[in-house]
Amino acid sequence: MLAEDQDTQDIEDVSDEDVDELLVEEVSIDGMCGVY
Amino acid sequence: MSTTEAPSPVAETAFAADRAWRLNPQVALRDEAFGALAYHYGNRRLVFLKSRLLVTLVSSLADYPSASEAVAACVPERSHAAYERALARLAASEVIDAC
Repeated sequence: MLAEDQDTQDIEDVSDEDVDELLVEEVSIDGMCGVY
Repeated sequence: MSTTEAPSPVAETAFAADRAWRLNPQVALRDEAFGALAYHYGNRRLVFLKSRLLVTLVSSLADYPSASEAVAACVPERSHAAYERALARLAASEVIDAC
C-alpha cells in the first residue's frame, strides 16, 4: 500500500513537469532573417 | 577606473502569484489551433502557448487582482501548480508583466 502510494506520487510528479513543459515553449528567431 | 558589472543577459521578471499581472502591451497573441503564438515586439521572442486554457488565462489576467485568483477562476484545481509555473515562464519571457 505504501509502495503503491509512492508510485502514484511519482507519476503525479512527472505528469506535472510534463504538463509544465507542454504548456509553454520559447523559440529563438534570431538569425532567421535570411530565411525569408 | 571603471568597475562595470556585466548586465544580466536576461532581465528575468520574478513571478509572484499574489500580484496582478497582464498581457504585456508589447506582445501580440495570435490564436492557433494548439493555443496561441505570442510575439514580443521589444525582445523579439516568440513563445508558443500550447493550451487554449492558458491562452484564456493569459488573456484574462488583467481582470483579476492577482494571478492566483485568475488561475483559481480559470483552471481546474488539479492543474493550478502547472499553470502557475507556466505563468512564471511567461513572466521570465516578458510575455506577461506585473501591473
